[in-house]
Amino acid sequence: MSNEPTDVGDASSAHTNAQLFGRGEAATLAFTYFTAGLAVSVLHVTQGTDPVVMVAAALIVNSATSTLAYAAVTASGGSTLAGVFSGWLVATRFGLFAAVLGPRLWPQAWRKALAAHLAFDPSVALANREATDDNARSVFVQAGLWLCVPWWTASVIGAFLADGLGDTQALGLDAVLPAMLVAIIWSQLNSRRGVAIAALAALIALVLVEFAPGGVPVLAAAAASLLVLRSTEATGVEAR
Amino acid sequence: MLTWFVVGALAVGVYGQRALGALVIDTGRVNERWRAVLQHVPLAIIAAVVVLQTFTSSREIELDARAVGVGAAALCAWRKLPMLITVLVAAIVTAGMRRLL
Repeated sequence: MSNEPTDVGDASSAHTNAQLFGRGEAATLAFTYFTAGLAVSVLHVTQGTDPVVMVAAALIVNSATSTLAYAAVTASGGSTLAGVFSGWLVATRFGLFAAVLGPRLWPQAWRKALAAHLAFDPSVALANREATDDNARSVFVQAGLWLCVPWWTASVIGAFLADGLGDTQALGLDAVLPAMLVAIIWSQLNSRRGVAIAALAALIALVLVEFAPGGVPVLAAAAASLLVLRSTEATGVEAR
Repeated sequence: MLTWFVVGALAVGVYGQRALGALVIDTGRVNERWRAVLQHVPLAIIAAVVVLQTFTSSREIELDARAVGVGAAALCAWRKLPMLITVLVAAIVTAGMRRLL
C-alpha cells in the first residue's frame, strides 16, 4: 500500500476539473444500456410477462441480472421463492458497490437513499476514479442517469415491441438469455480466479440438475465463490 | 414470467441491498476476504444459469442448437461487440442451426 503520491501520480487518473465525465463515456453507457434494455425487455415479454409489469420491473427493480436470474430459475422448474432468492443473490454486488461509495456521498441520509437506486457497476467505478468527493458525487449521478434513462426508455420500447413476436423457439430466442449473461460476465473471466469460480459453479449446477429440485442447482453454485478464500490467502491484499 | 408480486419482491431485495450498502454498512469494518467472496457470488450464480440454460431442458442435460448459438455469443463477447449484437448473433445462429438439424 505505498501508492499514494498526491501530486504527480494523480495527474494520470484525475483529469482536469472541466472534464469529469466525457461525452464518450456518456455515449458508451447510453448505447450499452439502451441495447441491453431492449433485449432484456423483449425476452421477458416473449416469455409471458405483461408489458406493463415489464416496465415496472425495469424502473423499480432496476437490475436486469436479477429479473433474468428469476426467469432462468423458474423456467428450469424452480419455485417462485427460489427464483426471487437467486434474483436477490445476483444483486449483492450493488449493495457492495453502494457501500464502497457511501462514505463519499452526501451526508444527508435521504440523498444517499435516493442515490443508492443508481448504484450500478459502471456508475460506481467511474465515480470512484475521482479524487474529490464533490467530483465523485457529480460523476456518480451523471453516469447513473446516462445509464438508467436509456435503459428505462428501451425497456418501454422493447416491452411493447415484443408483444407481436411469434414462435420464439423458431427465432432462437431461447438462446438470448444465456447469450446475454455470457456478455455480462465476460469481463470477469479475465483472471484465473474468475475462470475457476465460473467453471466450478457451472460444474455444480450440471451435476445437481438431474437430482436436486429446481432452483437448488443455481443456489448451490453460489458456493463456488468461496474459492476466493483460497486465492486471497495466496496473493495477499490485491482485492479492491 | 414476471408478475407484480415477483417484481415487488425483487425490488424490495435489490433496493434493500443498495440502501443497506449506501446508508448502513461501514466498509472499513467488513472483513476484506468475505467482501471478496460476496463480490464473486453474482459471477458464480450467472455462470450456473448460463450452463443450465444452454445445456439442459426440463432438468435433463441436452446438447442442441442453443449450445452453438451461445458459443457464437461467447465469440462476440470475446471480440467485445455490443450486447445487442451478441444477443442477435446468438438468436440467429440458434435459429439457423435448428433449421439445419
